[in-house]
Amino acid sequence: MAKILCIETSTEVCSVAVTENGHVCTYLEDLGGQSHSTLLTVFIDKLATNGHEISSFDAVAISEGPGSYTGLRIGTSVAKGLCFGAGIKLISISPLAAMASHVANHAEKYGLDLIQTDLLVPMIDARRMEVYTSVFDKELNTITPVEALVIDESSFESLADNSRLILFGNGANKCKPVLISSSFVYIDDIYTSAQHMAILAQQLYNKSIFADVAYFEPFYLKEFIATVPKNKVL
Amino acid sequence: MLHNNKVIILGIESSCDDTSAAVIENGVIRSNVIASQKVHEQYGGVVPELASRAHQHNVVPVVDVALKQASIDASQLTAIAFTRGPGLLGSLLVGTSFAKGLSLSLDIPMIDVNHLQGHVLAHYIKESDDDNDKPRFPHLCLLVSGGNSQIIVVRNHLDMEVIGQTIDDAAGEAFDKCGKVMGLPYPAGPVIDRLAKEGNPDAIELSKPKIEGLNYSFSGLKTSFLYHLRDQLKLNPNYIEENKANLCASLQKTIVDVLVGKLVRAAKETGINEITLSGGVSANSGLRGEIERQAAKRGWRIFLPPLRYTTDNAAMIAITGYYKYLNHEFATHDMVPFARMVINEKT
Repeated sequence: MAKILCIETSTEVCSVAVTENGHVCTYLEDLGGQSHSTLLTVFIDKLATNGHEISSFDAVAISEGPGSYTGLRIGTSVAKGLCFGAGIKLISISPLAAMASHVANHAEKYGLDLIQTDLLVPMIDARRMEVYTSVFDKELNTITPVEALVIDESSFESLADNSRLILFGNGANKCKPVLISSSFVYIDDIYTSAQHMAILAQQLYNKSIFADVAYFEPFYLKEFIATVPKNKVL
Repeated sequence: MLHNNKVIILGIESSCDDTSAAVIENGVIRSNVIASQKVHEQYGGVVPELASRAHQHNVVPVVDVALKQASIDASQLTAIAFTRGPGLLGSLLVGTSFAKGLSLSLDIPMIDVNHLQGHVLAHYIKESDDDNDKPRFPHLCLLVSGGNSQIIVVRNHLDMEVIGQTIDDAAGEAFDKCGKVMGLPYPAGPVIDRLAKEGNPDAIELSKPKIEGLNYSFSGLKTSFLYHLRDQLKLNPNYIEENKANLCASLQKTIVDVLVGKLVRAAKETGINEITLSGGVSANSGLRGEIERQAAKRGWRIFLPPLRYTTDNAAMIAITGYYKYLNHEFATHDMVPFARMVINEKT
């Protein structure tokens, strides 16, 4: 039994949840975007009352990315401040795995009866036709690792032969006109939320899989390439 | 809040490419730790995304070491002061967000600090309990760095007025950009300072800006330096190599003359003879020497900062936090950092 503060800032959604033993006790979130710096600790401050004071938590779980660099930067820095000050553990969770975990555990809520060959395909919008995605089976085993994928008609071709692919997350919508075969099933309105982190956070806590509070860095996925300016003034 | 007479402030600075944390107890420095980022040298300037990532990597160890060196446990802290701006937004976000999280977990207030005000107040950091020889109010501060060149009337710790400032480039920017065209490594300021000692400051005449009032301009000087090099290189391809020391000495003297010229004028106009020097360029030996010379001539009482407080450091953020704490000025959790901020800005 552990009490974990979950923080999700990898997309435009700013979301915080108080979770106990894998269940969400209370949460606050904003879907408006561009507001993590203003809202994140305001949310935490509001939630950290009535017995949920920071010192009462066993760990802080953060969304590790991929996603918005700025969002991840704010979430990670706040989490480090919380963990360092309270002397509690840090847990890092893939936002893609968190969304997949939510769907796998609440399939009936979305009118789905999952069968063994079904594949869960969470997607985070990475602009244009690109998404960050990773494919999971219904037991949440990783079938394909996290990648930045430019979606076209041939995407997931080999997987779609033998499986139904369930697409969700804020990157799924733009796939609708492109991935049209009956193998693709879409669930709308699933977004990165701290609520979806509850189960995985508890599992990682149980297994004592923690991130290093001092040196943890978000999973940026893409290599950042800086260039040396070439323009010569002389 | 002031019933306990021990006020212990943790300062966190992350505005550019130095991650720093410091502990100040009742105005006396207990620790000041700076992690500089070497990653930018190969790019000839600070790469914002890399700076943000390096801050993320450094912030916990730097704060941890600052607390340990001060022999202070985090639970003993009174408040956390952090740099809100000006600076690189991604870098500021790391320090600001970390401070917010730490303030929540320790349940202590946080204080937002203007980085420029921090540079000015660096002179009030006490090295020991009886270190009381500090600038009196009002005084004039010449604040010179890579991003700023300002003359400030300092009426008290929290009341400042900018009476002159650059209308284009900062003095430090002029040093760095001119250094760059000479092929000097980044940051060029310290290299120019060293080479200038071997050169003749009157060897090359560079055009000096003619700006009204107490304001500065350095972009014209930079262009004049560039044109001089271009013209001379046509005659002698080895001109820069053969004249490096003279170029540095002349450039440095011109910048220093411009800076101190307006400072002398400001002192005359305001009648203030208590003068302080702050910011990264205050490490420049030419500038320090000229201010000392003017002080002797004009009877100024001057304060030149110790070199450790000339570059970006959290000690100056902590001391500013200390005075804001005494004045009950605190930050709220909805505060965001600002890339651009002026002194005495009310937000």
